[in-house]
Amino acid sequence: MSVSNDLELIESFQKGDEASFNELVRRYQEKVYWIAHRFVNDHDQADDIVQEVFLKVYRALKDFRGKSSIYTWLYRITVNVSLNTLRKRRVKDFFRIDEFFDYPSEESERPDKQYELIEQKQLIEEATQQLPEKQKAVFILRYYEELPYEDISKILKTSVGGLKANYFHAVKNIGEFVSRAHRAH
Amino acid sequence: MHTGHIKYLLMDYLTEHLDESDRDHVRLHLQHCSECHNLYDELKTTHEALQHSQKVLPSSAYYSTILPRVHKRIMGHRESLWSNKIIPSRILLPLALSALFLIFLSRTPSDLSSEHEQTEVLFQAVKDYSPDEVVQAVSTEYASSNALSNPEVVSEGIAEHLRGDHFIREALLKQIESDDIGDMDYDGVLSGLNREQAEQLMSKLSEREML
Repeated sequence: MSVSNDLELIESFQKGDEASFNELVRRYQEKVYWIAHRFVNDHDQADDIVQEVFLKVYRALKDFRGKSSIYTWLYRITVNVSLNTLRKRRVKDFFRIDEFFDYPSEESERPDKQYELIEQKQLIEEATQQLPEKQKAVFILRYYEELPYEDISKILKTSVGGLKANYFHAVKNIGEFVSRAHRAH
Repeated sequence: MHTGHIKYLLMDYLTEHLDESDRDHVRLHLQHCSECHNLYDELKTTHEALQHSQKVLPSSAYYSTILPRVHKRIMGHRESLWSNKIIPSRILLPLALSALFLIFLSRTPSDLSSEHEQTEVLFQAVKDYSPDEVVQAVSTEYASSNALSNPEVVSEGIAEHLRGDHFIREALLKQIESDDIGDMDYDGVLSGLNREQAEQLMSKLSEREML
């Protein structure tokens, strides 16, 4: 059996072959999950994002004209759905805090909270989570996915120069977050 | 290259993603620029810390669950199109109403035993749909044809389903009194009609030969 490229699969799907969609899902599911997980740092939410992304892909695939590559398109959908999930989470968190008036003081937060942060891995995850949206997206796509700036530019609709600046500031912010946590410890 | 530009290349330099020319520029720059060198050391420490952040891999079995669940959601989406009456209201209902009106047009008045019969047929046609859907369908008919040749009958049928809304109702009454009916926002106005007002509007539109 020949291995079809992405465009062949899409054309085949557009002609009514639903199995081509299955092949696209199998081809990209791990990548989509991994990016989503990097954004939300939670398996269940990443799983929801994967489902949402492929549902969107299924609905839009009939109109896909191949102006961008499928993976650029998929990455863009994944980034957008992930950012939406984060925004919803922020709203939920905001109301949760607001509802219970549970504003921990710095002193009460320190000992236990900082011990949790000793694990370097956790610390990095925390640091990544606190990045502004754009920086986080650029950081994930460039550092972990190692995508060329030109592709990230298409995904995030940002100039290459702007991406390089975002990437630099993202890593710098992560470093500063980690340093602050170590100092506090 | 100056510091402002070089600093944005440092991460790619660290991770060996620069082409040869840029790499040489950065290397030479770092030899004499202490500011960039400090930044480089800072980023290098962070890069090393990031190496501790291992990829979180779900079990391989997880990936085999994705496709069936995606298909389940696709099916759910299709069903919701029907259960939310998006397809019925946007496609089938206007088609059904159009067909119904064509049938009405093709019949002479004597074919119809009574006005009540017309009302009943129209009522049956729209009774399973929400007011918004009915309004959508009827307003489409307004825009596309003069099929509503007997507005009182139509209003009788649709008015059962239309909600009253204070503000829209007031706006409607003002509009009916004015001469601006031709520019009326049918969707907005009709959603606020009660039976009496629907009849009034139909009658006005008919008088002005706009139907």
